[in-house]
Amino acid sequence: MSNNLGLPNEGKGVFLLGLNYDYNNLNTLNAGAEKLDDNSRLRITNSILLNLGYAFTDRISVETLFTWVNQKRTISQFGNESLTDTKGIGDAVILAKYAIPDVLGASSVVNLGLGTKAPLGKSDLTSSEGFLLIADLQPGSGAWDALGWLSVSKGFSFRPSATFSGSFTYRLTGKNTSYLNNSSTYQFGNVIQANVGYTDQFFFLNTIFSPGLVFKYRHASYDKIDGSQLPNTGGEWVFVRPELIVSLTPNLAVSSRVELPLYSHVEGTQLTPTLRFTAGISYTFKKATPNILN
Amino acid sequence: MKKNTLLVSILIVMLFSCSSSSTQEIQGTSGTPVGNPNPDPNETENTSTEWTIPVNEVLDGGPGRDGIPALENPVMVTAQNASLLSDSDLVLGYKKGNDVRAYQHNILDWHEIVNDNIDNVSLAITYCPLTGTGIGWNRFVDGIETTFGVSGLLYQTNLIPFDRATKSNWSQILGESVNGSLAGKDAELITLVETDWKTWKSMFPNTTVMGLETGFSRTYGTYPYSDYKTNNSLFFFPTPKDSRLPSKDRVHAIIIGGFAKAYQFSDFDTTPIIKDTFRDRNYLLVGNANFIASFELDATQNALEFEYIFDGTSEAVFQDNRGTQYNIFGESISGGEQLELSESFMGYWFSIPAFYTTEVFGE
Repeated sequence: MSNNLGLPNEGKGVFLLGLNYDYNNLNTLNAGAEKLDDNSRLRITNSILLNLGYAFTDRISVETLFTWVNQKRTISQFGNESLTDTKGIGDAVILAKYAIPDVLGASSVVNLGLGTKAPLGKSDLTSSEGFLLIADLQPGSGAWDALGWLSVSKGFSFRPSATFSGSFTYRLTGKNTSYLNNSSTYQFGNVIQANVGYTDQFFFLNTIFSPGLVFKYRHASYDKIDGSQLPNTGGEWVFVRPELIVSLTPNLAVSSRVELPLYSHVEGTQLTPTLRFTAGISYTFKKATPNILN
Repeated sequence: MKKNTLLVSILIVMLFSCSSSSTQEIQGTSGTPVGNPNPDPNETENTSTEWTIPVNEVLDGGPGRDGIPALENPVMVTAQNASLLSDSDLVLGYKKGNDVRAYQHNILDWHEIVNDNIDNVSLAITYCPLTGTGIGWNRFVDGIETTFGVSGLLYQTNLIPFDRATKSNWSQILGESVNGSLAGKDAELITLVETDWKTWKSMFPNTTVMGLETGFSRTYGTYPYSDYKTNNSLFFFPTPKDSRLPSKDRVHAIIIGGFAKAYQFSDFDTTPIIKDTFRDRNYLLVGNANFIASFELDATQNALEFEYIFDGTSEAVFQDNRGTQYNIFGESISGGEQLELSESFMGYWFSIPAFYTTEVFGE
């Protein structure tokens, strides 16, 4: 979710819509930072993410993110394959943002955001045989989280088409108090995420292309069950993410990005991301300029 | 603008589709068989939805079927060539004639089931790290040799194995099939001995033990569950608790039908030999700080007097008043006499009353 937050404030009255497909593949089994020679476990998450943003003023805006999630677990062992699949609406985010332009000089903007993740998704799905599935196979978390968000972007006069940017997200997770038929509480670990990136623009075939390169750091604390740390959860990662935005019209853009792990250190033994791909479109609904008749 | 609003509304409605789940088991597809090939070429899928235990108390433990891969006929090495095994590490031991084998917890923690063949015995060592229960089963079921795998399901925090021949699911602690074409069938128990590696080696210096070359890449020697073994408050799944004893205390449980009697290591502090009666049956228990073994006595054996003689250097653990010395399996050292091992296993205290109406010795 944090990957898809941060719609820009395009000015008072502007409404933005973003629709993205996200594919997250975890097929690498790690013990700490050591990659184990075992690709029998595969987790894939397919998500559809709908971003809606609206600017009340040039500084104050709100962003919402709705999700639909499909979780797949595949075990390939002894010549057989075992697949468990869940799908459904996921949790949603609402984020209130405040933009401070030129605080770092010309062509800069700092955005501060505070928000919450709402547990819209189901967190008590059972398998087709009727067995309760564990927390990380559920579309939703069953818990409210608090979100803090900060982003900085800066352009430089020596290259007006380029932008350096950074963002920081902190997610303070809540507890699912109805876990496993109301017998336990489950709390995903708090998450810190930081990105630094460089984006440039070039013009080709009457179209603006904006390639970018982002480095992402993510740290997740242990999950907790009934207040006790759950082994084999949590860790820290560094990713590299090349991305490309193509502005088809002044209002319509398509984007794609690939996220690859550079460093993974997990607690205990667990699957860790192998590859992530996101593609989508965004549309800016600009407020109509009123006709002034003389 | 109206068209845009309609488009957004349609998208939101599409997103609010029903949540659902599905599972699918496909045989003979991708994945390279590791280790020995599956010995059940005619295995069938289990489509039964009937369970003899409450389905709403069966949980998906997380890894999925075979996500924790069982071992088959592992490479065994001599005690001298054992790696990553310290004197205090626990092992499950089995003896058939001169073939003495130990299955160490620090590999079982990662695989939970070992299917092995020792002489003419086809044995499944089942071990659940969350209940601390190590239980041996005969792999011949209805006259057909099968192998057991880890289903990934749990009942009362306890391992649910499945047999590959019929894909029936079994409860490890109940020792019976709870779902599938074999539902209701009892597993034939093969009693194992659990003790520390140092004690086991001293009893059986010619023992073999599992080698680390299992065909799987795991960090053997690293316990995967943090301080679960010793933290009486740490549980990953709901299970009833009985406050008579600390939850994670290891106890020896003798099982008769739906009843169990639990013995603690402290029961043997002052007397390593106990004769006891449970459900009208007579038992001899022998124990110290590192092992507890129990034997069901017939009327003649019950009249004998027994003496503890284990000195940590040999196989002999106790002797009777006729001078017959026995090892921990109840076998006479000089041959002939054999005391029958009881139907029993070691486990964490909380797991026993979760399944059986349980007495505590000395209560």
